[in-house]
Amino acid sequence: MVVREAPSIEPEVAPDVRGPTAPLPAAIFALGIASLVVIALGLVVSQLNYALSDRVLTQNCLDEQISPSDNGAIGVCNIVEALGDPLTTGALYLGIGLGGTALVLGASTYRRMDSKRRRDEAITGAVLGSQAVLLALAIVWFRSATPGLFAKHFLNFADLQGYGAAFVRGALNTIILAFAGEMGGIVIGLVLGILVLSQRRAVRAPARTYINFFRGTPLIWQLVTGYFLLLFGFGLHLSAFVVAIIVFALNTGAYAAEVFRAGIQSIERGQIEAARSLGMSYFQAMRYAIVPQAVRRVIPPLMNEFVILIKDTALVIVLGLTASEYDIFTTAREGQSATFNATFFTVAAIAYLIVTLPLIRLVNAAEKRLRSGLVGIAGAGG
Amino acid sequence: MTETAAPARSQTQGVGEPLVKLEDVHKWFGNLHVLKGVDLTMHQRDVVVVVGPSGGGKSTLLRCVSMLEEPTTGRVYFEDRDITDVRANLNEVRTHIGIVFQAYNLFPHMTALRNVTLALDKVLGLSNDEAHDRAMDQLARVGMGHKVNAYPGQLSGGQQQRVAIARALAMQPTMMLFDEVTSALDPELVGEVLEVMIRLAGDGMTMMVVTHEMGFAREVGSRMLFLDEGRIAEEGEPREMFYHPQTDRLRQFLAKVL
Repeated sequence: MVVREAPSIEPEVAPDVRGPTAPLPAAIFALGIASLVVIALGLVVSQLNYALSDRVLTQNCLDEQISPSDNGAIGVCNIVEALGDPLTTGALYLGIGLGGTALVLGASTYRRMDSKRRRDEAITGAVLGSQAVLLALAIVWFRSATPGLFAKHFLNFADLQGYGAAFVRGALNTIILAFAGEMGGIVIGLVLGILVLSQRRAVRAPARTYINFFRGTPLIWQLVTGYFLLLFGFGLHLSAFVVAIIVFALNTGAYAAEVFRAGIQSIERGQIEAARSLGMSYFQAMRYAIVPQAVRRVIPPLMNEFVILIKDTALVIVLGLTASEYDIFTTAREGQSATFNATFFTVAAIAYLIVTLPLIRLVNAAEKRLRSGLVGIAGAGG
Repeated sequence: MTETAAPARSQTQGVGEPLVKLEDVHKWFGNLHVLKGVDLTMHQRDVVVVVGPSGGGKSTLLRCVSMLEEPTTGRVYFEDRDITDVRANLNEVRTHIGIVFQAYNLFPHMTALRNVTLALDKVLGLSNDEAHDRAMDQLARVGMGHKVNAYPGQLSGGQQQRVAIARALAMQPTMMLFDEVTSALDPELVGEVLEVMIRLAGDGMTMMVVTHEMGFAREVGSRMLFLDEGRIAEEGEPREMFYHPQTDRLRQFLAKVL
């Protein structure tokens, strides 16, 4: 038998096997980054330069149909002028030059790079360079078209003065609509999800019908019809806001039901067998053994549903809310109607993203945690 | 092994009323005929080991005893009650029949202790203190007294399986069913689980054990069933069957596994 001696010095960390770098690939990598930085700097510096100094409405802007009577005309004009400024032009063409160089050098040499690090640097440099070229070309094309018209309608923030509070209230209303709808939907969904898993067709069929109906008809139809049904069909005195929450809950319930059904079905058969073999009834087994495990697994998809619902709440615009009930989109639409300035929609997008992006990150984190398999251990109160 | 097992074997067969009786049990899964007429009688303190080739219906037979699988035709009696009758209270019957599974099937979101107390609490309605004491006793009995607050994911396969045995024993069942409980274990962990089972047999527990551990079958079993293609092809005293198999099928099977 051969006994092998362990090496006397055990390395403390995993060895770096990516290998050394060299001037050429490092230069390609630097070129790629530089091309993007040059373009960004050129744009930002010239925009700030125009925005922060006293300017007048130029002839060029007047030619672009920006009239002195427009609210915020000077600001819009500054954006257009800065785009055409020699500093911007220089930055764009320098960016194209640097990026193109990185692309050509990287693409032609990466196959011959003899270490992983050199190869990665050459490829990354070429990718960044190509992105810079595309970005700069897009801007060059854009400013040769009608940047004045675009800026006047989508980047004119002057008309938004005084709408700050309205947007904050809109965001709150959006969150209230989505959250209340989601909570109601989760309760409906859990019940329906268990019902559709029944062995008995008589129990399954109504639940399945409900789910298919709400998944198979447009949400906007459900909102409008629900509104007329509750107010005129049943003679109830409900505000459009409350009707919207009810309809969102009913609709989300159908989707949440499918999520819960899949979650429950994903629990190993052995779990319910173990519970039943201890003398538990079907519902005890569900309640103590299956559902607690399923709930952990359905948290990411349910949060995903929540993000979708936040965006779908924009459909309440069809219900005629009162001003204090406006959500983000209705606020923007009202502002745009009053001013003929579509910049309200730009702001609405930003407002939605402020609400949804943290949630999307949270969903991804929750999914990652679930995949790591620690969910059964952490935070399990029993 | 032999010493501990001896008491269980010495008092066997035919003592008093039968505990479990299967009459002509057939089981179909779709068009697959898995059990083809099994008759079986078990008495108190019997340790019936079930061996045979895979796909022979061993696990299905065991699961029919607690009605986890419902026989397609035939009757299963437990303590003289027909538990295949639709009116039978299976939840109550199952409190008397402990089962241990190949895949342990512990509840992963609960500690070892809570795994054991859950049914004591929700099914038997014991007070918290009673359930706790009883669970701690059973966990200590299987050598898991030091890990009661661990979650299943933090335990080795052997440890999980011992907790699963404690969970079943805590219900104070009349009999225990073991469904290939060591098959999923790493070889070095098999011993600790078998040891618990041997002690249990020694204490006089009525057991049905589906197993591939031929040593265990021979030493601990009071009776052995050789199940092949859905039928009991041969049954008898384990040693006798090992040393003097009567059928070709059993001879072939033993030649392969020994």
